[in-house]
Amino acid sequence: MPPSQEWSSKSEELAQLLSRAGIGDQAAFASVYQRTSSHLFAVVLRINRDRAQAEDILQEVYVSVWRAASGFDAAQSQPMTWLTSIARNRAIDSLRRANSQPRLSSTHGSTEEGIDVYDETADDSPGPLELLNQASVARQLQRCMEDLSAPQRQSLALAYFDGLSHAEIAHRMAQPLGTVKSWVRRALQALKPCLDANGRRE
Amino acid sequence: MDYSRPELADRLAADYVSGTLRGGARLRMETLLPAHPLLRRAVHEWQDRLAPLSTSISPQQPPAAVWNGIEARIGARPAPSRRRRWWQGVTFWRGVSAFASVAAVSALTLLANPGPAQAPIIVVLNPASPPVGGGPDVAASFVASISGDGRAIVTRPLVKVAVQADHALELWAMPAAGSPKSLGLIAADAATVVKRDKLLDGTTGLAVSLEPPGGSPTGAPTGPVLYVGKFGT
Repeated sequence: MPPSQEWSSKSEELAQLLSRAGIGDQAAFASVYQRTSSHLFAVVLRINRDRAQAEDILQEVYVSVWRAASGFDAAQSQPMTWLTSIARNRAIDSLRRANSQPRLSSTHGSTEEGIDVYDETADDSPGPLELLNQASVARQLQRCMEDLSAPQRQSLALAYFDGLSHAEIAHRMAQPLGTVKSWVRRALQALKPCLDANGRRE
Repeated sequence: MDYSRPELADRLAADYVSGTLRGGARLRMETLLPAHPLLRRAVHEWQDRLAPLSTSISPQQPPAAVWNGIEARIGARPAPSRRRRWWQGVTFWRGVSAFASVAAVSALTLLANPGPAQAPIIVVLNPASPPVGGGPDVAASFVASISGDGRAIVTRPLVKVAVQADHALELWAMPAAGSPKSLGLIAADAATVVKRDKLLDGTTGLAVSLEPPGGSPTGAPTGPVLYVGKFGT
């Protein structure tokens, strides 16, 4: 089953499991975890590549989900969108902490380590641009993608998949900050109509 | 900024959801979300647009320890009738409600569950006047918001504080008895996140002192105490 179809077909079951979890059903919550944790872990791990931290973040994500499950509104959002957004948010927040922490921890003995995205060595996982291309094919976004320049696509992919800030993208692509900011913004705006059409199809 | 302008809300939401909104701006956004329906809707819309893109990421099986940890924590879910803690008292909130918008808690959790789950604790640090030990003339205050689980503090100056290059601000947890415990250095002109396992155990207030660049060399405040804030007053 293509990922996009799977995403929505999972929805109804997941929404039911989440509402059961919302009234304290731990078995239903365990099913939510079984069905979704490998996706959320992958999402978190791309943004925060420190495995130990990613595991902690994933744990925090599901504890939040358990606490917030009663407030999940299936009429408002798809469960996978809701869960993925919580995971992305936590992962991005962890970068914020990691960035502000070393300055504090150097003399005060915190247990958290800073992460430098530029220290990451290449691994076997696909690059962010490849992921964006795969997603475009899967979600039929190619038409909108064609309107984007290569650097616009690259900068959006680095931001979305790898959680890089504007400044980090500018550094990585050796481009001025303002240029990078407008690339990412234009890429998002250009994709908006296709993404919306995509959402309506489901 | 006028957050009721749809195009501004849309742009902020796009930056927030795509992840490029960072630092203080991201914290501010999370603070604004619960009170701004238009902004919240724009965020929802961008989440709907962007989250499905993540399906191209290959799944990664998390180790079993993660679930064991979750299970242990949700099994110990506190009963709804848990005893009120001092920071949940009305008295405490009186006078600090004006600063409640500074609360930095997970906006998504708030969006989904505006219930009482984990209210942040807001402490206003006022200038110790006259500065204890004599320090520079400071009119500004800090606000510290402490996450409901007591594991993170975000400090934020209400007005930019000028600190000379050869000085730093250090945050202290004040116990009921005994000596203050250092929580690390904080920025004078920006938000700082301090994360510790047991921030609040036995702590009755927070204080900020002026220290040498690397922080107090002795483990106790050495410079003048510039700001103090007590819990539950």
